[in-house]
Amino acid sequence: MILNTGRTIPQGNSVEYKPSPEYGAETSRAFLAPLDLMDLGIEDGDRIRISCGDRSVVLTVSAGDHVPPGTLFVPYGAHANHVVPAATHGTGMPDFKGISVDVEPATDPVRSVWDLMEDLGGRRY
Amino acid sequence: MTELLVKNAFVIDPLNGIRGEVMDIAVRDGWIVESVGDGAEVIDAAGCLTLPGGIDSHTHICGTKVNFGRYMMPEDMRAGRTQRRGVMHSTSGYSVPTTYGNSYRYCAMGYTSVLEGAMAPLEARHTHEEFAATPLQDTMANTLFDGNWPVMEAVRDGDVKRAAAIVAWTLAAVKGFAIKLTNPGGSECWGWGKNVHCIREMVPYFGVSPAEIIQTLIRANEMLRLPHSVHLHCNNLGVPGNYTCTIGSMDLAPDLNPDRQSLYLTHVQFHAYGGTSWKDICSKAEPVAYTVNRKPQITIDMGQMMFGKTTTMTADGPMEFNLYRLHHNKWSNHDVELETTSGIIPVYYSRTSVVNCVMWAIGLELALLVKNPWQCLLATDNPNGGPFIKYPEIIALLMSRRYREEELKTLAPGTHSRITLPSLDRELDWHDIAVMTRAGQARALGIRSIGKGHLAPGAEADIAIYPIRVDKTDPSRQYREVIQAFQKTAWTVKRGRPVARDGEILVPGVNKTIWARAKVREELDMGRDPEFARNFDRYYTVRMSNYPVQDVYLQRSLCMESEAQL
Amino acid sequence: MIVRDVICPFCACLCDDLDVHVEDGRVTGVDNACDLGSHKFMTDHRMKGPVRRTASGWEEIPLEEAIRETAELLEAAERPLLYGWSGTCGEAQSAGVHLAELVGGVIDATTSVCHGPSILAIQEVGHPGCTLGQVKNRADVVVYWGCNPQHAHPRHLSRYTTYADGFFVRNAFKERKVIVADIRGTDSTNLADEFIRLQPGGDYAVLGALRAIVRGKGDVVPPEVAGVSREQLYRIADLCKTAKYGAFFFGMGLTQTAGKYKNIRNAIELVDELSRHTKWTLTPMRGHFNVYGFNEVCTWMTGYPYAVDFARGMAFYNPGETTAVDILARKECDMCLVVASDPAAHFPAEAVEHLASIPVVQLDPFPNLTTAFARIQIPVAVSGIDADGTAYRMDGVPLRLHRVLDRGYPDDAGILLEITRRITGGGSR
Repeated sequence: MILNTGRTIPQGNSVEYKPSPEYGAETSRAFLAPLDLMDLGIEDGDRIRISCGDRSVVLTVSAGDHVPPGTLFVPYGAHANHVVPAATHGTGMPDFKGISVDVEPATDPVRSVWDLMEDLGGRRY
Repeated sequence: MTELLVKNAFVIDPLNGIRGEVMDIAVRDGWIVESVGDGAEVIDAAGCLTLPGGIDSHTHICGTKVNFGRYMMPEDMRAGRTQRRGVMHSTSGYSVPTTYGNSYRYCAMGYTSVLEGAMAPLEARHTHEEFAATPLQDTMANTLFDGNWPVMEAVRDGDVKRAAAIVAWTLAAVKGFAIKLTNPGGSECWGWGKNVHCIREMVPYFGVSPAEIIQTLIRANEMLRLPHSVHLHCNNLGVPGNYTCTIGSMDLAPDLNPDRQSLYLTHVQFHAYGGTSWKDICSKAEPVAYTVNRKPQITIDMGQMMFGKTTTMTADGPMEFNLYRLHHNKWSNHDVELETTSGIIPVYYSRTSVVNCVMWAIGLELALLVKNPWQCLLATDNPNGGPFIKYPEIIALLMSRRYREEELKTLAPGTHSRITLPSLDRELDWHDIAVMTRAGQARALGIRSIGKGHLAPGAEADIAIYPIRVDKTDPSRQYREVIQAFQKTAWTVKRGRPVARDGEILVPGVNKTIWARAKVREELDMGRDPEFARNFDRYYTVRMSNYPVQDVYLQRSLCMESEAQL
Repeated sequence: MIVRDVICPFCACLCDDLDVHVEDGRVTGVDNACDLGSHKFMTDHRMKGPVRRTASGWEEIPLEEAIRETAELLEAAERPLLYGWSGTCGEAQSAGVHLAELVGGVIDATTSVCHGPSILAIQEVGHPGCTLGQVKNRADVVVYWGCNPQHAHPRHLSRYTTYADGFFVRNAFKERKVIVADIRGTDSTNLADEFIRLQPGGDYAVLGALRAIVRGKGDVVPPEVAGVSREQLYRIADLCKTAKYGAFFFGMGLTQTAGKYKNIRNAIELVDELSRHTKWTLTPMRGHFNVYGFNEVCTWMTGYPYAVDFARGMAFYNPGETTAVDILARKECDMCLVVASDPAAHFPAEAVEHLASIPVVQLDPFPNLTTAFARIQIPVAVSGIDADGTAYRMDGVPLRLHRVLDRGYPDDAGILLEITRRITGGGSR
């Protein structure tokens, strides 16, 4: 499927305080077309794992009528960036939209933003 | 107390009638004085040409459109790079250098004061921020009123006083120096993608003509007793046949001020074209210069065009779009609500183009045909006609017929029949050049009273010492030496401090900004005018309270106050 | 106390009509702001004082020590990266550029991951633009392409477009047509008179088709282009050509998708083409309140808007090489100073990982995800709330942010100047 990221009001509201649960909850949501949920055999509120190359992340699913089938929309933040490749094709800008990812149902919990940072070698504050 | 003595200077100081005398110049705490003590620092000028610091009365070096020129042209930035060295920051840019690049290069040429040719009031803060990063010159900003809605309404109502009051409020709010009209009325038309083509066409909706805007603001300017006159970029720039429009604009100016012109027309080279199209374009410098010669109320600057690569940038938005359609290079445009517009495109002026060759000749013809050098100042409309680093070449061209002849040989075939330059024998002298590069500017801008443009006691100690001996140089033959000398001073002294030595910058410097405030009666204070305030908050996208430029933006501030006679 | 006409330091709309209620050194209420702006004024999760990472946790350290250590780290670094800058004032940005020049580092802003591609396109073909008041007073057609102003710039519509009555457009809601192009339905597409729903990655093709039609070469356009019917394309081209004044806004739907700056180049050239018929302007929807300010400051100081490398003593610019994501992903920098941004949240993981292996110092009022990689964090005043300074709106209009209260924090510019003084030994002027 094609992953697109973008800004949302809840993400913007909590952008000055990213350690908050609200921020992590918003940026770990994935909006999919209801048709795609059926195909994946999952429902609103279930979890999926999206992978790109050797990186993956677990997200909570929301059904979104506005999302075109075959794509998923994830609010811009640490969760989506966990799988976004760093290549910029000589422009300085990575592909934050239009990334080809694998999607599968998942049972693992959604990791907090601090968990993700620690995975990358950081330390929670 | 700091003291400096410049010894053995060969001084030309036109404002004080000094046409070449070897003398000492004494400086105390930034000002020229009668004498200094034995402990003063000494610079030995060794008989070299010593002039008041250079003044550019029309250049584009700071502000929204200048910076956009840099922003959109990394290729120009790469064309002029220097490393960080001593007190000098790194610089970039050839035709639109970074602020430090402008400042260092002007300083090396002995220029100590410059006037930014066009500042949109709404974006004034930007210009002042860049002034602050232009550390070695004193700066002034022409403030754009060409498409100002409240001014056009006052013009339509025939209310000169109100127009003056709006100008007074705006200049004080944005810390501007003078009234600039760029293609008056045309900027408003450009808001709809249209233009006016001469001074009698009407501006849609507002129902005023450029002529009415020009005439009203000339009168308003004198009522406010501003230091400078109205500074006009005529309608129809760069269009074959536009000289009639230029002469028509000159004819609008009454003679209202005994101390200086009542109307300053800038970059007149671009406005002195004959013909009906690019195919038959020819010089009309003669009738334009003739008009100047019989009107003491007019001062112009050359707007000389020099061959090579440069960038055009002006508040004349529609003209830039037309130029873009000719050149098919990149084009930027920036319209400013209720006020003005601007455009930018890069250009290459080529000797293989007859049009460019004619333009080159016209600028020189103007300077040679205007009899009184106080009425025709030296400038390129930097960077429009060419970057200011070309000034030394222009000086040499004006001083040497032989140099002109050498250059004329290189022009595109077909040029000679369209110009009069080959028939002009006049060679300007050192005094003429001193007038056209500093004294004339000081008088035209009205800044002699604050000590600019001369070297008598009481003047600010801005001094340029050029490594050339007037008594040993024949500029007619030795034009290469003239060019070299004006490219790099032996010393530039700013505010009494040596700031450059052989082109090396010696101090970080701190900019000073000169601005004008005309005091008006309370009932004409637009800050308290309910209709003005209501329309302001309704149609601007910035609240009136957030519009004025705060004092903090001016590191050193010199306000020239006047008592308006309204 | 109510402070009037306060400028909002959230997004690059820089709304300047906020009334901020202040009591006992705290903001108790904000009138006129959008949700995003109000939250910023009301948020109160600031870090108390400078902290340093220890073997097992975090320790508080004096400001003096934090500054000294930062200066030492910058001096010791061979290839420092100074990144961020969009959430602070011009005065701090200016100090940052000088500091980068002094230490021979690379300075880059969040621009490289928002409208960097727009700048690359502008450097190819220019930018026909305007201030937002031109749109408010004149525009009868407005395009939002690849952006969702209802979420990212919530008052853009009420201050400048759909709901903003102007001098020549007395009833904007009725007289102004809105065209929105997006790959998905959003709160913004819901307001559109015309919703161009394109397939992901189809922007370049659709813009190209519109250019062809406007140029009179519509016969080359197939029945459908990236999910958009030829009929709709003709309808839109006609709407654009017959507008009295058209305004084209675009966002990261164009800058972040495949094609990047070529998408924007196509949009600019569409506007150029339309300018031959009527009046059109184009404006990038810049995100952070002062991201455009960084581009302005950096340009007049160095000649380039972002991604400037001072390693050779002069300014060198080559996006794709001297941009932050690339430098981090190549594991090239050996120290990173982060000011007023959060790369750990906004960069791809591969770039973030390198932050874990080099010393990082962060100036930011709040703990954020980059804190997780910081050796030192110095909390500073929030620009536009407890620090004043200059910011540039998305259209280039410069405004002076207010300082509505004092919380006792130093501001970014002050800290950066102090770091600079440490490095130069006090003689910077």
